[in-house]
Amino acid sequence: MLAQKLHLLRHNVLSFVSSRTGSDLTRRQYDVIVVGGGHAGTEAAAAAARLGAETLLITQKIMTIGALSCNPSLGGVGKGQLVREVDALDGLCGRAGDSAGVHFSILNRSKGPAVWGPRAQLDRERYRQFIQSELLSTPRLTVLEGSVDELLVSQPNPEEPGHHRVTGIRLVDGSHPILSSSVVLTTGTFLSGSLFMGQTTSPGGRMGDAQSCAGLSYTLKETLGLRVGRLRTGTPPRIVKESVDLSLAQLQAPDKQPTPFSFLNTHTRCKPEEQLPCYLTHTTPGVERVVRESVHLNCHIQQDTKGPRYCPSIESRVLRFPGRRHQVWLEPEGLTSDLLYPQGLSMTMPPDLQLRLLREIPALHRAEIRAPGYGVQYDFVCPTQLTPSLQVKSTQGLFLAGQINGTTGYEEAAAQGLWAGVNAGRTALSLPPIALSRTQSYIGVLIDDLVGRGVTEPYRMFTSRAEFRTYLRPDNADLRLTPRGFEEVGCVTLRRYKKAVSVRDGLQEALMALQSVALSSTRWREKLVCSSTLLYHVSFSLSGLDLLQYKDVSFEMLASAFPECLSQYFEYSQRLKIEAVYRPHCEKQSREMERIRSEESLSLPSDMDYLSLPVSLSHEVREILDRVRPNTVSLISVKCYKYRQIMCLIDKLGYFLSQ
Amino acid sequence: MAFPQGLPSGPSLRTFPHGLPSGPSLRPDLTQLYWGLCIPTRAVCDAETIFALSSGHGRCGVAVVRVSGPASSMVLRNMAGLTQALPPPRTALLRRITDPQSKELLDRGLVLWFKGPHSFTGEDSAEFHIHGGPAVITAVLQALGSLEGVRPAEAGEFTRRAFHAGKLGLTEVEGLGDLIHAETEAQRRQALRQMDGELGRLYQDWSYRLKRCLAHVEAFIDFSEDELIEDGVLNQVDSSVRQLETEIERHLKDERRGERLRTGVQVVIAGATNAGKSSLLNTLCQRPAAIVSPIAGTTRDIVETSLDIGGFPVLLSDTAGLRDSSDSVEREGVRRARQRVEQADLTLVVVDSTQLPPDPQLVPAFLQEHLSTVLPSPEAGMKAASDRVLLVLNKSDLVPEEQRERTEGELRERPGLPPACFLSCSTSTGLEDFLTVLQSRVKTLCGDPLSGAPSLTQARHRAHLQQSVQALNQYHQYRDQDLALAAEGVRLALTHLGRITGRVGAEEILDIIFRDFCIGK
Repeated sequence: MLAQKLHLLRHNVLSFVSSRTGSDLTRRQYDVIVVGGGHAGTEAAAAAARLGAETLLITQKIMTIGALSCNPSLGGVGKGQLVREVDALDGLCGRAGDSAGVHFSILNRSKGPAVWGPRAQLDRERYRQFIQSELLSTPRLTVLEGSVDELLVSQPNPEEPGHHRVTGIRLVDGSHPILSSSVVLTTGTFLSGSLFMGQTTSPGGRMGDAQSCAGLSYTLKETLGLRVGRLRTGTPPRIVKESVDLSLAQLQAPDKQPTPFSFLNTHTRCKPEEQLPCYLTHTTPGVERVVRESVHLNCHIQQDTKGPRYCPSIESRVLRFPGRRHQVWLEPEGLTSDLLYPQGLSMTMPPDLQLRLLREIPALHRAEIRAPGYGVQYDFVCPTQLTPSLQVKSTQGLFLAGQINGTTGYEEAAAQGLWAGVNAGRTALSLPPIALSRTQSYIGVLIDDLVGRGVTEPYRMFTSRAEFRTYLRPDNADLRLTPRGFEEVGCVTLRRYKKAVSVRDGLQEALMALQSVALSSTRWREKLVCSSTLLYHVSFSLSGLDLLQYKDVSFEMLASAFPECLSQYFEYSQRLKIEAVYRPHCEKQSREMERIRSEESLSLPSDMDYLSLPVSLSHEVREILDRVRPNTVSLISVKCYKYRQIMCLIDKLGYFLSQ
Repeated sequence: MAFPQGLPSGPSLRTFPHGLPSGPSLRPDLTQLYWGLCIPTRAVCDAETIFALSSGHGRCGVAVVRVSGPASSMVLRNMAGLTQALPPPRTALLRRITDPQSKELLDRGLVLWFKGPHSFTGEDSAEFHIHGGPAVITAVLQALGSLEGVRPAEAGEFTRRAFHAGKLGLTEVEGLGDLIHAETEAQRRQALRQMDGELGRLYQDWSYRLKRCLAHVEAFIDFSEDELIEDGVLNQVDSSVRQLETEIERHLKDERRGERLRTGVQVVIAGATNAGKSSLLNTLCQRPAAIVSPIAGTTRDIVETSLDIGGFPVLLSDTAGLRDSSDSVEREGVRRARQRVEQADLTLVVVDSTQLPPDPQLVPAFLQEHLSTVLPSPEAGMKAASDRVLLVLNKSDLVPEEQRERTEGELRERPGLPPACFLSCSTSTGLEDFLTVLQSRVKTLCGDPLSGAPSLTQARHRAHLQQSVQALNQYHQYRDQDLALAAEGVRLALTHLGRITGRVGAEEILDIIFRDFCIGK
C-alpha cells in the first residue's frame, strides 16, 4: 500500500512536469529540491519540510528510499553520538533505528559515558518502511522518481558572494525544468561512480541501480568549476544464513535491555527477548593465501584511489598487516531475512574467488553467496569549497551533503543531510544561514573538519576528533541541541521541544536539590552505607553533587539518605550521575571553548583580496589564505607560527567587520 | 552548457550586512550551554591572568612587568605586601617586592594598580617597575609564574585582550598588528634556536612519546570494541606515562636544566669566502678569537664570542664563508652557517669591496643580488631585512677613494637595501661609524622584549611543563573509572607540551593509531 501511494505521487508530479500547457502546474516551483534518497537526502528533505519549505525529493527509485546499501547497522563509537544529535534536532535516523533495531548494545560501556557508543543491528525492511512512511506523512514534502540531468544555473544575486546561482534542475526524461530556490545534492557514490569486481568495471553507484549522473558531474565540474577528487569504498558478499555453521563462531549477545537512540522513545519496537545475536569469527592463513593469489585478478585493489583506512577491504587489511588474524562479524540482516552480513570481509575479487576465500574460514566452510561483494570508485567535491552551512561557496542556493563531500557512513551522511536541509530551507525562506559550533556538537565537528581541512580519505567520525568530548556526550544531546533547534533553527517540532524543556527543568531542579544538601564528611559517613575512602580525607563540608562525582556513590544512595528532597528525581538518576562526574571537567574547558566560539563567530568576507591586503603577512601565508578562503577565523588551521601571524590579521579584519 | 533562458527570478534572497558567507552560529549564553544546565551558585571561570616583561631586555635602568586579568589584585597583594587596601588606581607606590612563597625580598620598586576597564587591556591590571638587571627580572617573573591562575602571556596576548575589550581604534590596531608580527618573528627565531639544541631534542622526544600514549588510549576508546586491540595496550600506556612524569619532574628540579640557553642578542657574521668575516670578528672583540688567513675557507665551524656593545649583551658568531665546496667538512660548515643566519637577530653581511662593480650605479643591484644568496627566504620582504641586516663593505682601503665616495652616495638612503658601511678591518678606517650604526641596531633589538630573553622563555617552559605533569596525574586518577577523562589528562598534557614544541592535531593522533594498529571497521 505504501508503494502504491508513493507511485501515485510519482505520477502526479511527472504529469505536471511533462505537461507543457498546464499553466498553473508548470509555473509551480519548490522552495527546496533534494536530489537523492539515501541517509543524507531523506534527512535533508525532512528537515527542509519541517522548517516550512515546500520540498521536492527526487530519487532514482522510490523503493530504495531509506535502503541500507551497505551494513545493516546504525551507531557505534562516535557515530552513535551523531545519531543522538540528529535525533535531538528532530531528524529521522534515531527513531528509524529504534523501529528497525534487532540487536541493541552500548559499546564502550566500561570506558565512561562520554564515549559510550549506542549501536544497533537493523532489520533492513523495517528501516526502509519507517523512513518511507515518515516521509509520506511529512507535510510540504513531495517525492518524485526520476534522474536529474543537470542543474539550472544563472547569474548570481549581486548582493551576495558567489559567481553563480542555482535555480532548479532538469530531469533526464522531462525536458521541462523544475524550479527551486535551493537544491541539495546527496548523490552518494553516483557521481561518476564505477563498480569493480574482479577484472570487470561498469559505470554505476550501486549494484543493481541505474547508472550514475553524468550530467550532474558535468555541471559541477565544468559549469561551476568545482574541484573534485576520487575515493573508493566497497561492500562484502551477502551470505546465505543456512549455509553457515554458526556453532563454529562465537555468539555475541545484545544488551539485555535495549537502549533506544531517540530521546522520544522509552523503549524499542523490538522486544528485549526478540533480539537477534551476532557472531564473531576470524580469518585464517588460507584467507591471506587466496588474497595474494588473486591480486592480479583484482583491478580495484591495484588502483591507488584512496579508500578508508578504518574500513578497508579484506584485501588491503591482509596486505598491510600480513600474518595476523582479522575479526569477522556475522551480522543478521533482519528478523525475516535469510542472509548474514560478514562485517570485515568487504572484497572486490572475482566471485568464484570470493567463495573460495569465505570457505577458508571454518564457520563459513560451506558458505553460499547470495550477492558477491564489489568495490565502488566515485567523485567527491572537495569540501573546502563549502561554507559551514554546507552551501557551495561559489554557487548561491546549492548545498551538498553525504558521500559527495568525502565522508563515509550512514550517520555522517544523515548529520550533514539534516544540516544542509536546514540551511537550504532557510535560504528559500529568506532566513540567514546558520552554523553549528564544534564546541557544541559532533555535527559541528564534522562540518568544521570537512570545510576547514578537507579530506584525503573517506571521513569517518571518531570521538577523538572532538576536543570537547567530555561535554559532547550522547546523554546530553537533547539539552545541547533541542531547545536551540526549536528556538533558533526551526527544525524541531513543538512536541519534542516541550519534552526537552521539561527534562532540562527537571534536571536543573534535581541538581540544585543535590547542591542544597551539604554535610560534613563525618555526617555523610553516618548517613551513607559507603565504603569510599574519600570521606576520610576531606575535612570541609560536601554537597550531594560533590559526592556524586565519586565512583562508588550513586544517586540512589543519596536519595535514600535524603528521600524527602531527592526521591522525586529518580527518573534522572543516570543523567545526574553523569552530569556530576563531568561537570568539573567541562568547567575547566570552558575558556578554550569560549576562545574557539569567539573565533568561529568572526566571519571573513569570501571575496577578500589576501594577496594585496595592506598588512604584514608573509607571501606564503597570503597564498594559503587565498587558496583556502576561510569563512571564519576558526577555519584557519595552519601551523602555530603562521597561526600567530594570521591571528594578527584576523584582529584587524574582525575590527573591520564589527564596524 | 547553456544557461536556461527566461527563468523567473527566485524568491527574494537574503542580504548580508558585509557580504558574509556564514551566518550567525548557534551562540547560546554561556551558562546554559556549557553545562547543559546551569547552577547559579557556581561561578563561571573567568579568564586567566597573564604577565610579561613589557620593557626591553638588556641593561636598562628600569624594567616594567605587566600583569593583566582578574587575579591582578591578588598578585599585587601577594607580591607587594599590600595586605588590605589596594593603592588608588594609576598612582605609583614604592614597595618592597617579595616572593609570595618564600617571602624573600626580590627588589624595591614602583607598583601601579589599574582597575578595569580603565587599563590598556580593559581588565584589572598591575605593573611592577623594577630594577633592570637580568637576575631581578628573572626572579620576579618566576615568582609571578608560581602563583596559581597566573601564567606567562603568549605573543601578542595583551594586544588581543585590549582589542577584544574594544580598547583599540583601527589605526592603533594597525600599528600593534605590526608589533605582534615582530614578536612572532622574534619568537620564531628563538624557538628555532632552542629546538636546535639538546633541550629541544628532549622536549620533542617527550612530545613524541606522549603522542603515542594518547594515540594508544584513543585507539582503545574508538576501536577496541570492533578490533583486535590487545588488552595490554593500556598497561603499556600506564608505564609510559609514569616514566614521562618522572623524567619531567626530574627535569624541573634540575636547576642547570641540561643546557644553558644562550643569552644576549644573536649577531651573526656571514658572507662569501675571504670577504674578511673573521677579521671583522677579531676587530670587534679586539683580540684574535678567530684564525685569519688569506686562504679561502679558513673558518669552517662557528666561532662564538660574547661582547658588550653599548652596554647590551651580544653573542657574536663568525661563520664559514658561503660557497659550494667539495670538501665535506666545509660543506657542513656552510650548512651550519646558513642555519645560524636563519636564527640570528641581526646579520652582518660582509662583502669584499674590491669585488664591487666599478660603476657605482650598478652597485645596489649587485648587493641586492648578493644578499639574496646569503639570506634565507629573500621574498620574506626587504622591510624585515633592513631591520635585521647590516652590509659591511670590507677592505675599503683597497678601493680608490673617489670610487668609494661615489658608491657611498649611490647607496645612501637606498630603499630596499639595508644600511651599508665601508670599513677596513686592517686599517680600522670607518670602524667608528660602523660601531655607531651597529650599536643603534643592537639597542633597538634589545627594546624587543623577546630578543634573547631566556628568563621569560624559561618561565614559560617551566609553567607548561608543570601543568603537563599535573595533567598526567589526571590520567592515573581516572584510569579505572572513566577512560574518557583519563584520556583528557593525556591530551591536556600534550597541549601544554605543544605550547613549547608545536601544536598537535587530532589527525596526527589518528595517523599514529592507523600506523600502530591493524584497524578495520
